[in-house]
Amino acid sequence: MTKLGDRLFSGVARSFAVLTLVLLAGIIVALTVASWPSIQAYGIGFLFSPEWNPPMEKFGALVPVYGTLVTALIALVIAVPVSFGIALFLTELSPRWLRRPLGTAIELLAAIPSIVYGMWGLLVFAPIFAQYVQPALQNTLGHLPLIGRLFAGPPLGIGLLCAGVILAIMIIPYIASVMRDVFEVTPAMLKESAYGLGCTTWEVVWRVVLPYTKTGVVGGVMLGLGRALGETMAVTFVIGNTNFLSTASLFAPGNSITSALANEFAEADPGLHTAALMELGLILFVITLCVLVVSKLLLQRLSKGEGGRS
Amino acid sequence: MDIANAQLEFRNFNFYYGKFHALKNINFRMARHTVTAFIGPSGCGKSTLLRTINRMYDLYPDQRAEGELLFDGRNLLASDIDVSILRAKIGMVFQKPTPFPMSIYDNIAFGVRLHEKLSVAEMDERVEWALRKAALWEEVKDKLKQSGMSLSGGQQQRLCIARGIAVKPEVLLLDEPTSALDPISTSRIEELVDELKKEFTIVIVTHNMQQAARISDYTAYMYLGEMVEFGVTDELFLKPKRKETEDYITGRFG
Repeated sequence: MTKLGDRLFSGVARSFAVLTLVLLAGIIVALTVASWPSIQAYGIGFLFSPEWNPPMEKFGALVPVYGTLVTALIALVIAVPVSFGIALFLTELSPRWLRRPLGTAIELLAAIPSIVYGMWGLLVFAPIFAQYVQPALQNTLGHLPLIGRLFAGPPLGIGLLCAGVILAIMIIPYIASVMRDVFEVTPAMLKESAYGLGCTTWEVVWRVVLPYTKTGVVGGVMLGLGRALGETMAVTFVIGNTNFLSTASLFAPGNSITSALANEFAEADPGLHTAALMELGLILFVITLCVLVVSKLLLQRLSKGEGGRS
Repeated sequence: MDIANAQLEFRNFNFYYGKFHALKNINFRMARHTVTAFIGPSGCGKSTLLRTINRMYDLYPDQRAEGELLFDGRNLLASDIDVSILRAKIGMVFQKPTPFPMSIYDNIAFGVRLHEKLSVAEMDERVEWALRKAALWEEVKDKLKQSGMSLSGGQQQRLCIARGIAVKPEVLLLDEPTSALDPISTSRIEELVDELKKEFTIVIVTHNMQQAARISDYTAYMYLGEMVEFGVTDELFLKPKRKETEDYITGRFG
C-alpha cells in the first residue's frame, strides 16, 4: 500500500516539474513561430535598427531593447545600495521594537499594484522630478566630462531616468527583504568573531556578513532585476513612449519592450507588425535567460575568489 | 592569595541581562602570562564573565555591567574606552570554529588590516608568524589561498586562534574552545595554550574539569552568578576551601 502511495506521489510531483519544462518549451516555440515572419524579413539587423515605423512596415528593436536595459540598470544602481542600507539597518542597528513595523512597511511596498506606481509616477513624482531633481542633477553631475552627457537636455520629468527611479522604488522591497532574511541567518558567533577583532558594524557587515551571504544577496538582486526587466504598467506611464532615440541623455523619453507591447499589441495589424512585437517578446525572454546565466557564472566566480569550499 | 602584577582585576563587579542579575559582586585578579580557567555548571555565568572582558555585551542593548574591570589599571567599563582598540588588545576564540568566508591567508590578515598598515612582505611574515604560533603553518603553508572553510574542525579552530593572535593582543579569551572538537584536536589546542601563555595572558572557559586542571594556573569555580572559590589550580582541585567546590569537582554535584 505504502509503496504504491509513494510511487503515486513521486509520479505526481515529477509530472508537475515536467509540466514547467513543457510550458517553458511551449512558450519558446509559440513566440518563435509567431515572430518568424519578422525574423525572416529583418534577420539579425532587427536588433540593431533604431527605426520603428508601423505604417512603413519598418521595424527595429534597438530603441525598446535599449530602454529596457537602461531603465533596469538605473533601477539596480539605485535599489541595490539602498536595499543594502535598509537590510543593514534592520538587522544590525535598528532598535528591536522598530524592526518588525519597519520590515512590514517595506514589504507592503511590494503589495502596491504597479498601475498605482505608474499613476503616482506620472502625476506626482514626474513634476517634482522635473522641477527639482533634474535641474540639480544637471548642475552637478551634468558638468562632469563624459557622464555629463547623460544629464543633458530639457528636464521633462518623464523619460528613461524617471522610469528607472520608479522601477527602483518598486524593486527595493524585494531586494531589501531578501537581504534582510539572509543577513539574519548569519551565525551570531561569526559576527561576534569579527567584532571581537575590533571591527566596526560597517566592517562586519561589508567584509564578513556580505561575503557569507553572497549567494542569497545575488539571488535577491536577480529577483529585483527580473522584475525590473519585465515591469510593464508603471514604466508605460512614465517612460515617454517614443520610438525615436537621438541623444545619450537619460532625461530623454524612450520606450521599453514591455511598454511597446502594451501600447501597440491591441492595434497591431496581423502580419509583420504583430510578428515584430512577438519578436520583441522573444528578445525579452532571451535577455531574462541571459541574466540568469550571468548570475550563475557570477556566483561561481565569487566562490572561486574565496578559494572554494571543498 | 594575592597576585602581584595583576593585569586584569574585577572589583565589585555586577552584570545584568535586563532585570536578571547574572553576575554577583565578582572580585578577583589575573596575572600577566598566566592561564586562568572558569569552571562551573551550565548557566553559572562563566561565559558571561569572559564576554565582559572585551565588552562583547556592548552589542546587546539590554545587557549592562556595573563596578570596575581594570586592565593595566584602567577601567574598561568607562564610556570613553574605544572598544575597537580594546578588542585588538583582547582577542577571543569561540565554542565553535568561526572561519570567515575568505582564504586562509585573508582570515589571518583580516584583523591585522583593521589596525595596522603593513607592506605585503610584512603581512606575509605576520601571517606565517601567527600560523606558526597556532601550530598550523606546516599543515596549510601550501594552500594559503584556499578557503578557511575547507579545513577540518580542529584546523579551523587553530586558524581562529591564529587570527586572534595575529593582531598581537595581550590577552586571549577562549570560550570553551574545544567543546566542538575530537580528543586529538583537543589535546593539540591544550598543548598550544601551554605554549601561548609565554606571550599572552589566557582566560579560558571550560566545562571540562580535567582540562582546567591540566592547563590552567588559576581556577575560578562559579555557581549561580557568584564566584564561589578562586585560587591556584592545584590547590583548588586538591584542597578546595569550600564545600560547594569540593562537591562539584568530585562529581557529587553538577
